[in-house]
Amino acid sequence: MQQDKKRLLIIGIGMVALLVVITFLYAYGVINNEETTFGGVLPILIPLIIVVFMVFFIAKRYKDVKEGMPLEDERSKKVVTNAAAKAFQFSLYWLLAISIFEPFFAGVLFNSETLDAGQTVGGGIAGMALFFFAFWIYYNKKSELV
Amino acid sequence: MKTRIKEFRAKLNMTQEDLAKKTGVRRETIVFLEQGKYNPSLNLAYKVAKALKTSIDKLFVFDA
Repeated sequence: MQQDKKRLLIIGIGMVALLVVITFLYAYGVINNEETTFGGVLPILIPLIIVVFMVFFIAKRYKDVKEGMPLEDERSKKVVTNAAAKAFQFSLYWLLAISIFEPFFAGVLFNSETLDAGQTVGGGIAGMALFFFAFWIYYNKKSELV
Repeated sequence: MKTRIKEFRAKLNMTQEDLAKKTGVRRETIVFLEQGKYNPSLNLAYKVAKALKTSIDKLFVFDA
């Protein structure tokens, strides 16, 4: 249990530190760039949303661990495994969609004709993270877990 | 699948939290088990049965 507490504290502090560094670096870039687009704000917006959710999630888990509950058990492990598998499968379709509709995404998000490598990879990772989050919620409510 | 976990737990004046701590799982897992919404591993089923001082076949009732 002590180890679980330590693990959670390290993850929590790490996430907050990451958030501060990303916010600082990105704010510095946005302030110095007058041509910031909606897509340009996404790299900070998505991690910000994820980190805020994670902080609440970790705080809840920390309270549980403090009360003597384990950090994870066989059910929570199955939920994570199933969510990760589905997120991987759906992220393949997502990457395919990005490559097919590249002009659309580039135009709407970045006011350009094509996406560069960083934008494509970033979009892929953000999509995978969102799929994982959505499937984690789904499998956490679902009764039959394989 | 139906379970009689709640019934056996009440007999022993045990809370869901107590049972979770005894079996080494999270409280949500006990909630799902009681509602018959989670099929536990044989290992967990044995631990729950042991904590409730009964046997697996008395605790879990399979419909099919």
